[in-house]
Amino acid sequence: MDSLWHASVIVLVLLFIGGSDANPAARRHSQLDVNHKKQPLQTFRPYNIAHRGSNGEIPEETAAAYLRAIDEGTDFIETDILASEDGHLICFHDVTLDNTTDIASRTEFAGRKRTYEVQGVNMTGWFTVDFTLRELKSLRVKQRFSFRDQQYNGKYNILTFDEFILIALHADRVVGIYPEIKNPIFINQHVKWSGGKKFEDKFVETLLKYGYKGKYMSEDWLMKPLFIQSFAPTSLIYISNITNAPKLLLIDETTVPTQDTNQSYYEITSNGYLAFIRKYVIGIGPWKDTIIPPENNHLGPATDLVARAHALNLQVHPYTFRNENSYLHFNFHQDPYAEYEYWLREIGVDALFTDFTGSLHKYLEWTAPHQNKEKKCRGPPA
Amino acid sequence: LPVRLTCVCVRACAGVVVAAALLVLGCASSGATARPLVGAAAAKQPLQTSRPYNIAHRGSNGELPEETAAAYMRAVDEGADFIEADIVATKDGHLVCFHDVTLDDTTDVADHKEFAARRRTLQVQWANVTGYFITDFTLAELKTLRVKQRWSFRDKSHDGISPIITFDEFIDIALNAKRVVGIYPEMKSPVFINQHVKWADGKKYEDKFIATLKKYGYGGKYMTKRWTERPVFIQSFAPTSLIYAADLTDSPKVFLIDDVTVRTEDTDQSYEEITSDEYLDYMREYVVGIGPWKDTVVPPTRDNTLTTPTDMVAMAHARGLQVHPYTYRNENRFLHYNFRQDPYAEYDYWLNDVGVDGLFTDFPASLRRFQDWTAAKN
Repeated sequence: MDSLWHASVIVLVLLFIGGSDANPAARRHSQLDVNHKKQPLQTFRPYNIAHRGSNGEIPEETAAAYLRAIDEGTDFIETDILASEDGHLICFHDVTLDNTTDIASRTEFAGRKRTYEVQGVNMTGWFTVDFTLRELKSLRVKQRFSFRDQQYNGKYNILTFDEFILIALHADRVVGIYPEIKNPIFINQHVKWSGGKKFEDKFVETLLKYGYKGKYMSEDWLMKPLFIQSFAPTSLIYISNITNAPKLLLIDETTVPTQDTNQSYYEITSNGYLAFIRKYVIGIGPWKDTIIPPENNHLGPATDLVARAHALNLQVHPYTFRNENSYLHFNFHQDPYAEYEYWLREIGVDALFTDFTGSLHKYLEWTAPHQNKEKKCRGPPA
Repeated sequence: LPVRLTCVCVRACAGVVVAAALLVLGCASSGATARPLVGAAAAKQPLQTSRPYNIAHRGSNGELPEETAAAYMRAVDEGADFIEADIVATKDGHLVCFHDVTLDDTTDVADHKEFAARRRTLQVQWANVTGYFITDFTLAELKTLRVKQRWSFRDKSHDGISPIITFDEFIDIALNAKRVVGIYPEMKSPVFINQHVKWADGKKYEDKFIATLKKYGYGGKYMTKRWTERPVFIQSFAPTSLIYAADLTDSPKVFLIDDVTVRTEDTDQSYEEITSDEYLDYMREYVVGIGPWKDTVVPPTRDNTLTTPTDMVAMAHARGLQVHPYTYRNENRFLHYNFRQDPYAEYDYWLNDVGVDGLFTDFPASLRRFQDWTAAKN
């Protein structure tokens, strides 16, 4: 375990030196030294969460995307944690490598294409769980969307969970992390760890190794801010025995049942369920179009989900906010700032997952700058 | 009836149809309240002149079909400094607000079987264009058409509701606003218009254009008291039209400059020629500014990123010429990657880095928000 940690640090340093252009943080050698006084996390206005890093500009979940997000002023860098065949935790969103890496051009891996069932659906592709970490590291990441900047394709590789954490800790101000326990059912089916440990154990172990702990808004938490997210309620309940760090339950489209408990959207957003899960999480992370369902690309009437969550002292962190007009309902006139304004001022949510943390930061600085210190009530600490 | 409707009824030539359409619009649009009578200019909030101009290109056409009363009134509500229009002429010599010489892309003319036979091919600036030409329709006929949103990716819920408006009706909208709102009309395709439309009194298109402005009291050099009460910029791609107009009015004029491959329609001059030192020295006797296509000022690469800016802005500013580039749009397909698909990043670059004096935008609300939010910082 130790040698792997050292290898990760070396890899991280090499990342900075070798070839990637967007790493000005490399020049600043902020230490993990606790005596170094960093600018603290802002807690007076809604959180700006860099969804997969600044992936509107740079391929998702790469060091460059996370460093860009930090430069742009984000509060939290967000990631999805999956596992490799040999049990290493990696930052990667899809269970398959097809859409965001150059795997298809790697003739040496041509024979590894598989079909597996993932959350009840058959998927075909190259699965991360069929590749060792070394093999994954030989791949290069590309921009998922054709309408985003392609100039960084092939430059960056996949990160480990350790490397992601080190990026946050090395920033010259306090930057929080927001990792997801991603597809835990699938991962635990395909990857086995020694000592009877499972995916959730390894996930929390990594966080504890770097000193992440403490309830929401405690002194420990403010020094190393952390939210743990998952679509799987049993995973969140399970880890509440091994960490008191704040957790959020993610909520998918109304048609998608939970992967572990097979519960419907309507069940897990009922008052009874929210009161139950409140014992384990401090908030929910819903898909924004379920909070306010659209009609003909205009906003329809809002549901009462935010009001009910807030009544139970649950924060609401909706996903995902994107600048491209194809993602914006016409009420916003193709203006991402109008969307921020609506969700933060009118609906009053507590954070936004965005692909464009730079834009959200500008909006927040222009309308709620640090000097003003508005007190946003998020309820008492969990 | 609301006060606004009464004022317009008195002025509008087309009468009942326009009144009815505006009544529909009045119900449909948000935030329009009673407006003061024209002439009470002293009581109005003046035009801002301390920061670059927010020019609502074809009205707020990101939200509503271009060059309609609805699009212009929305732009006024959203805080635009100027509302912009392209002026062309009908078969019977009326001046209307419309961008294309053909009706195909922004009206329902194709659904009007009574006009089916009018589709034809004409030469427009050395290219053959096929369609329904606006110069083949009388004003009354045009008023039976309804305007639609040009772009498939914009809101189409207002399609089929608004008619084409006249130059007079456009001016009315500006003068009836609760604050001073400038107008920015273009002498559009003058060579084509003068070829196809003749006026009985021997006057030509430019004469009619300027006469309309004078009728409503527009006049006076840039920043005179008279100008600030009724702000106007007259724009055109055709230098001879601007020079001709200079004899008729001292209102400020802006010389529009197209892409590097396009020659002027009247003098057949190249981009290189009309942006040379000598030519700018010549034109500065007649215009107060230039309006270039933004991609000629800061050219993009094939990979959609910006390259080094040209020296056009410096050359213009050195001669005391303003620069009002076109056109700024929110949709990511129009944004170079440097701006991370963020229209406000584009405004920031052009206003603060390049330092231009006005922006033609399809989204005056967004530009207004950007300017208001960053004004406190300056």
